[in-house]
Amino acid sequence: MILHILNRSPSASRIFQQALDAMGPDDRLLLIEDAVQGALPQLVRYFEPVIGRLFALREDLVSRGLEGRCDDRVLVVDVDGFVTLTEEADKTVSWF
Amino acid sequence: MRYALLVQGGPYSHQASHSALRFAQAVVARGHHLATVFFYHDGVYNAARLSAPPQDEPHLLDAWRRLNDEHGTELLVCIAAGLRRGLLDEREAARHGKQGHSLEAPFELTGLGQLIEAGSHHDRLVTFSP
Repeated sequence: MILHILNRSPSASRIFQQALDAMGPDDRLLLIEDAVQGALPQLVRYFEPVIGRLFALREDLVSRGLEGRCDDRVLVVDVDGFVTLTEEADKTVSWF
Repeated sequence: MRYALLVQGGPYSHQASHSALRFAQAVVARGHHLATVFFYHDGVYNAARLSAPPQDEPHLLDAWRRLNDEHGTELLVCIAAGLRRGLLDEREAARHGKQGHSLEAPFELTGLGQLIEAGSHHDRLVTFSP
């Protein structure tokens, strides 16, 4: 299992599409930095194919005033959870 | 586990350095060994020895140094990216006929081979880019 890490908002960059295309059936996607906007109900549709294995970083949601505004199906993790995700993955790939 | 981080974003311009530092601190707090941080592209500015941010802002330079002090994390700076941007240690400054130097230990100027080595010898390599 590979952990894919995305830091661009789907409303500003199309790189998320390359990440989704590259993801295997068990891979996970973590949204960090501006990508956490993708966890909002109005943008989460872009990540429909990976719902259930879509994560967002709590600290970056908080710093943008978005905590508590995420779609219920997004799994919110703090930075400790980020480390755990890297422990559980065989390797990580960053998309930017 | 042994971790390596690759930092490619310039400090105070992009979030990458701050994201990497926060992750680095969580890695060591969870009992892992953060063996290497490799600075590449504009990320090399993290190593500028004269950096003097306002006191009420995060001091990235000191935070990286602390990781080295407390956890033995090696702080590697790509020499090709560094020289282009004016980041020279004493030896490189002398070699290029420059007065003064802008990079010092615990940061080390190294080649890309060290990055490849970090990627293949450590359990995890996590990239933080702008």
